[in-house]
Amino acid sequence: MNIEKKKENLWDSIFKKEWSYSKGAVIISFFAIALVIVTGKAWGVTGPYSIWGGKVLSWLGVNVDSWRAFNGSVGKYVFANSQPSLTNLGIVLGALLSVLLAASFKFKKIKNGKQVGAAILGGLLMGIGARITPGCNIGAFFSGLPAFSLAGWVFMVSIFLGAAVGSKMLKNWFM
Amino acid sequence: MAERELNCLGEACPVPLIKAQKEMESMAVGDVLVLHIDHSCAMKNIPDWAREAGHAVEIEEIDDGEWDIIIEKTKVG
Repeated sequence: MNIEKKKENLWDSIFKKEWSYSKGAVIISFFAIALVIVTGKAWGVTGPYSIWGGKVLSWLGVNVDSWRAFNGSVGKYVFANSQPSLTNLGIVLGALLSVLLAASFKFKKIKNGKQVGAAILGGLLMGIGARITPGCNIGAFFSGLPAFSLAGWVFMVSIFLGAAVGSKMLKNWFM
Repeated sequence: MAERELNCLGEACPVPLIKAQKEMESMAVGDVLVLHIDHSCAMKNIPDWAREAGHAVEIEEIDDGEWDIIIEKTKVG
């Protein structure tokens, strides 16, 4: 097989080619620190998800604000005042922008029912995990470690155990 | 020198990688595996693994968000 190698231009090396892990780490750290300085709060992702779930239930007539888990936070929630809601929107828009700049936007087809099952089960497990931690690999781990949070270290060990179990499930049930 | 093909369109990590590793096990030295992928992570982890394992790898952009990874088995195991 002989494939002609295209010469790399500046646009491709910035927007198309994968950045190195160390470059990514430095940039993410820079913006995470900037976020704390500007908003006074560390980066998190999954907090608003539970609020959004609570919102949906409250529209269906459930008085979720009486639950101890919410304690009035659903009624008080304003999207534009919620730092993690805005950064979550930013993640989606940023991801969209990056695939558009790389000219690699594509609607992906669902391959089979197994894939749907894996996505639903995986989403449920991650959602439950992120609420009992509380926090995900960003809120509990990434933002936890520099704050000397012991939970962050427990999270780091657990994420490897969880990934090992998850890979086994994926291999045995969903492939 | 046989050529094999794996259609991994619509599959997310780590499924294409696991499939590629499994397929490569049953291939002979000199055989070529062509993987069709549309998951950008697979464009990193499959070549990373294959080069680490000592195989020859080429990536070809087929369409927006679609690539072929071509792996030539150059080492046993």
